[in-house]
Amino acid sequence: MRTRDSILSAIRTGLGGSRNDPAAIAAEAAELLAAPETIRPPLVAATPVDAFCEKSEALGTTLDRIGSIDEVPASIGRYVESHGLSTEIAVESAALFRDMDWGEIRPRLAVAPDAPAAVGLARHGIAESGSLVIHSCKETRILLAFLPLHHIVVLRAASIVSHLEDYAALLVGHETSPRNAVLITGPSGTTDIEGSYVRGAHGPGFVHVILVFDA
Amino acid sequence: MNATTRPGFKARSDAALANPTLKTAIDRTTGTAERKRAAALAGFAEYEPARSRGSAIKDHVIANLDHYLEMFERNATASGAEVHWAATDSEACDIVIRLCREAGAKRVTRSKSMLGEEIGLPDALGSAGIERVETDLAEHIIQLAGEHPSHIIWPAMHRTREQVAELFNADHKPPPADDEAASMVQSARHVLRGKFLSADVGISGANFLIADTGATCTVTNEGNAELTTTPPRVHIVTAGIEKLVPSTSHAMALLRLLVRSATGGELTQYTTFHCGPKRPGDADGPEKMHIVLVDNGRSEMIANEFRDMLRCIRCGACMNHCVVYRQIGGHAYGGTYPGPMGAVLTPVLDGLAQSRDLPFACTMNGRCAEVCPVEIPLPTLLRAWRGRSWRAGLEGATMRAGLAAWAGLARRPGLYRMASGIGVRALRLLGRSGWIGSLPFAGGWTRHRDLPGPTGGTFMERYKAERGKRSEDRR
Repeated sequence: MRTRDSILSAIRTGLGGSRNDPAAIAAEAAELLAAPETIRPPLVAATPVDAFCEKSEALGTTLDRIGSIDEVPASIGRYVESHGLSTEIAVESAALFRDMDWGEIRPRLAVAPDAPAAVGLARHGIAESGSLVIHSCKETRILLAFLPLHHIVVLRAASIVSHLEDYAALLVGHETSPRNAVLITGPSGTTDIEGSYVRGAHGPGFVHVILVFDA
Repeated sequence: MNATTRPGFKARSDAALANPTLKTAIDRTTGTAERKRAAALAGFAEYEPARSRGSAIKDHVIANLDHYLEMFERNATASGAEVHWAATDSEACDIVIRLCREAGAKRVTRSKSMLGEEIGLPDALGSAGIERVETDLAEHIIQLAGEHPSHIIWPAMHRTREQVAELFNADHKPPPADDEAASMVQSARHVLRGKFLSADVGISGANFLIADTGATCTVTNEGNAELTTTPPRVHIVTAGIEKLVPSTSHAMALLRLLVRSATGGELTQYTTFHCGPKRPGDADGPEKMHIVLVDNGRSEMIANEFRDMLRCIRCGACMNHCVVYRQIGGHAYGGTYPGPMGAVLTPVLDGLAQSRDLPFACTMNGRCAEVCPVEIPLPTLLRAWRGRSWRAGLEGATMRAGLAAWAGLARRPGLYRMASGIGVRALRLLGRSGWIGSLPFAGGWTRHRDLPGPTGGTFMERYKAERGKRSEDRR
């Protein structure tokens, strides 16, 4: 505690003078978020969903648009077939997936360290940047989004928000924010060797979004 | 970092300039970075107002730093994390080592953190006998080479692809298929995968500390931060106290500036908010989370002329655009942080006597301040160090005598004009071809480049001639 107090007291000495009260500080902090449209790029398309799709594809994320959650297994089937992947695939234990008729797909709960592919569920999409958002919880393993080479993500079109602040606002007022909130923006990559871009550094080299329009 | 045991700045930059591959390696990466940043900003019409807002956010945090530190501590503690405070680099390392020992750690994974480099954590872990696995690809490369980072975003940018291949061929089993970047990335992915999953402790830095949630934020392109922080039993964060922001929304405003300025992307592939340890029932995550808040000279900067430097968000744009950095690279600077921001910070961290040369290794062309996303007046801060160096008597006899002679001349205009008249004529004689290849008493200037010869007379001669012409025109 002594170090803590001496750091804080050095800061207070450095700042000098009378200190602002918490309400005044909060008001100033809120003012710094005013008129967000003047400090962020506009969406690249007319609707958040279209902008999300355009941004995602520019990042190298692939998309499949389906009309109902029941079509998820068929969509996964098309993806694994076109990439020559096994139909035995790690799937997040989300309630949404549990009672699904998987057909050809053989879902597994475990995800191997070098899993070729895994299927997860995103909480939100962010139109500004083409990002997917996952939260750690009982059903969502964070590692499922990082271990496989192909990360297949189910996203409901209705859960796409416009800008980064719109997502941040959703965290405010929740009892607690999740342990991990991860914004995934395109496949893993690196430019560490001579600045040249290579996909699939540690995380997935391929991100495939199954976008569900079930309103 | 102990600079006394290493050769001086001039010797280090001489060695850098004589290195045949270094310039190529630096140009490949900084050139790409400069182009990508320019393209990213061309597509962000709101950049200037966003930049002013970003600076204002950081200024607001620094002006209320005690308030935000306490708020962060309260919320992080409520999330189940344990907050520690370190006044110095060695205190910070001691805390981390103690936490590793308490966790019975044999192997720790580390996700790139410049603060970790600043406090000397890699060496401290080694001395404590704890196996350290660097997981960022560039940090993995320099760990194999036994080096320190030469850039804050691309720590291994001083190494060419061919040199990286040599390191991987010697260390990776099996070695990479060939020396193409893609094969080498594959090889590192394979080698590091097992280590991620068998580590006892994962150590990361933080790009932002979010005061109102108590979360820490990391940004990576590779996904190594999440693989570092999720599987081990314990996650330790080391972060400078200036990393605070009021809320997640404020972090978002700064992320737009950080990523565009650093890599030319809009958002890094992975932006993760870490808020406390594993919750009851969570499918994965560490059982414990520790956050070490490090001062190490920062609180002192609040009250002195270097306060603006506390805005720095570590994007690296200043070094990518620095004519000096692009010639000598990062290692020649001799500190943790290279380039213009490093030349301001190293004297704070290592002492001015150790690093007096750095504020002088600058042409004052102002590009660093121009590209800084949080409007840090870097040349002004470098000039402040030059002033301090002069007042502290750190300048050598030649510099003092030279400046005294110049001051004497400058106070006597007639003598000054005569001396500059002789000087310009002598230079014209030496530079008859238009360029001066070698100059007596100024070999340091002409050894690595030619000096352009003077094209006209002295300033006063031209001024008088110009004035005479104008008064004739008026008549």
